[in-house]
Amino acid sequence: MTLPIPDFILLNKGPLVFLGVSFLKVCVVFGAVMGFAALLTLAERKVSALMQDRVGPNRASVFGFALGGLFHPAADGLKLIFKEDFVPRWGDKFLFTLAPLLALFPVLLLFAALPFGNYIDIAGLRINLQIADFNLGVLFILAVSSLAIYGAFLSGWASRNNFALLGSLRAAAQMISYEVALGLTLVGVLMVYGTASLQDIAQAQGELLFGWLPAWGIVYQPFAFLLFLAAAQAENKRTPFDVVEGESEIIGYFLEYSSMRFASFMFSEFIEIIVISMLAATLFFGGWQVPYLQASGFVFPWGTEIPLNHYLVVLLQVGSISVKTVFFSWLLLVIRWTVPRFRFDQVMTLCWKGLLPLALLNILVTGVLIWWLA
Amino acid sequence: MIRIKKVDNRPLTLLERLYFTEVAAGMLVTLRHFFRNLFKPSNIVTVSYPEERLPLPGNARLRTRHRLKVRADGTPKCVACYMCQTACPAYCIDITAAEYNDGNPAEKYPRGFDIDLSRCVMCGMCVEACPEDAIAMDTGDIPGGALTREELMMDKRELLRNLPGEPSLLGASTRLHNEWDRKVKKK
Ligand code: SF4
Ligand code: SF4
Repeated sequence: MTLPIPDFILLNKGPLVFLGVSFLKVCVVFGAVMGFAALLTLAERKVSALMQDRVGPNRASVFGFALGGLFHPAADGLKLIFKEDFVPRWGDKFLFTLAPLLALFPVLLLFAALPFGNYIDIAGLRINLQIADFNLGVLFILAVSSLAIYGAFLSGWASRNNFALLGSLRAAAQMISYEVALGLTLVGVLMVYGTASLQDIAQAQGELLFGWLPAWGIVYQPFAFLLFLAAAQAENKRTPFDVVEGESEIIGYFLEYSSMRFASFMFSEFIEIIVISMLAATLFFGGWQVPYLQASGFVFPWGTEIPLNHYLVVLLQVGSISVKTVFFSWLLLVIRWTVPRFRFDQVMTLCWKGLLPLALLNILVTGVLIWWLA
Repeated sequence: MIRIKKVDNRPLTLLERLYFTEVAAGMLVTLRHFFRNLFKPSNIVTVSYPEERLPLPGNARLRTRHRLKVRADGTPKCVACYMCQTACPAYCIDITAAEYNDGNPAEKYPRGFDIDLSRCVMCGMCVEACPEDAIAMDTGDIPGGALTREELMMDKRELLRNLPGEPSLLGASTRLHNEWDRKVKKK
């Protein structure tokens, strides 16, 4: 007996499959990102503890098993859910509710443009391992991440609290300034690869320079990478650039927030770490590329070839970007716990008098080199 | 002797003002700690109180949990004079006096002697006030947290039972410590 398939499905098979696959990709990426961000909240505390000769959180346990503090993110989440959901009496209730959402959603949206693999063939269906393959991926990321400023700014405004408002002023000034520097540090990479699509950039990094050196962005643009790291850390508002929040003595823009609203600000910061790490990996460290791994298997420059199954190759590629992302997240945590905080004028000076001219210089040198080599 | 450390206030060199090398140098220090502690946790200085405890430095000046001293015949030295209860700034001592009717020269004794450790500020006024040297704060046991208020209430029996050095049965923290202690001793 054949199942009666409605004409609608038959007629729209292509779009429906696309929808289903996209939905699946969104679910997988969302789950992975949220899980990793939760683990990052723990990693932040564990890494800082180890750096300071402490043991870090290790008390939350289930049936007596603490597993080195693995249950702490869950315990924190539970605790935050049961905290009082406070809204300041004279605050703007609508904007107050909107602000944490505006902080969280743009950073989540960024993962749409970040490729986490090349493509996978399942039953003749070629699935691009990226949620949305824009040809303007980098610009999309810059545009959407700048939306997060609204979250920071509205939260201070809607709280009707002078300290929170001052915090948001600092946040807005810092984020907008570093947005400029961040964008300019990436221009060099775009010039080298001649495209703004992150998938294309990742693919271009699979080629070999001089026949043996993987053509990763760091090889072409080592200087831009350092600038990018500095600008990204500032954009993320973490130490050494955390005058915005200054949790130990200054007061930040989410002063009046409690419960899950506060958690969404906190969480968006951790998700931003993942975005930055993934972006750094994609632009400067080959993205999902494994050195010498072609679609058919390993091809080494000295002639050895190891043919590999297609699914194994895909697994290696996804593993590669994951490992790189984890490594850079860890590096960002280490930087955050190493460098003391800048003063606010120093933060601004560094941006407008340091990073910005250097980024422009980098663009100039890159342009001259490209023109000279061509 | 006062040691003077001269701070070298020279202007930063260009390399230092570029931050990157200085940040890298700083990260070298923190990373050394990170990896050393990751692979060799014995370097970590944290003491997981209350399971682990460091020996207290010399008991002489330390005010730890109270105890009531006893005479050679086992009767409490306390004569229920209420001095300590009066002196206590936290109002956490509660004494019920009773009389000896057997010609005991002490005449009075405490029928009940409760100290509420959840209110006690460990000031030692009670010890200072006692004319009989009957109450002491030398058990070497620092009252930690407890899961219920009752666990921090000490009655006369508890106060008389705990001789110095003897592990007390009081409070959640002490219980955790004792469990750990037993496990360590078993090994
Ligand atoms: S130590 Fe101080 S607060 Fe505690 S019982 Fe004695 S007098 Fe009261
Ligand atoms: S001051 Fe000393 S003798 Fe008087 S009631 Fe207190 S413990 Fe007993």
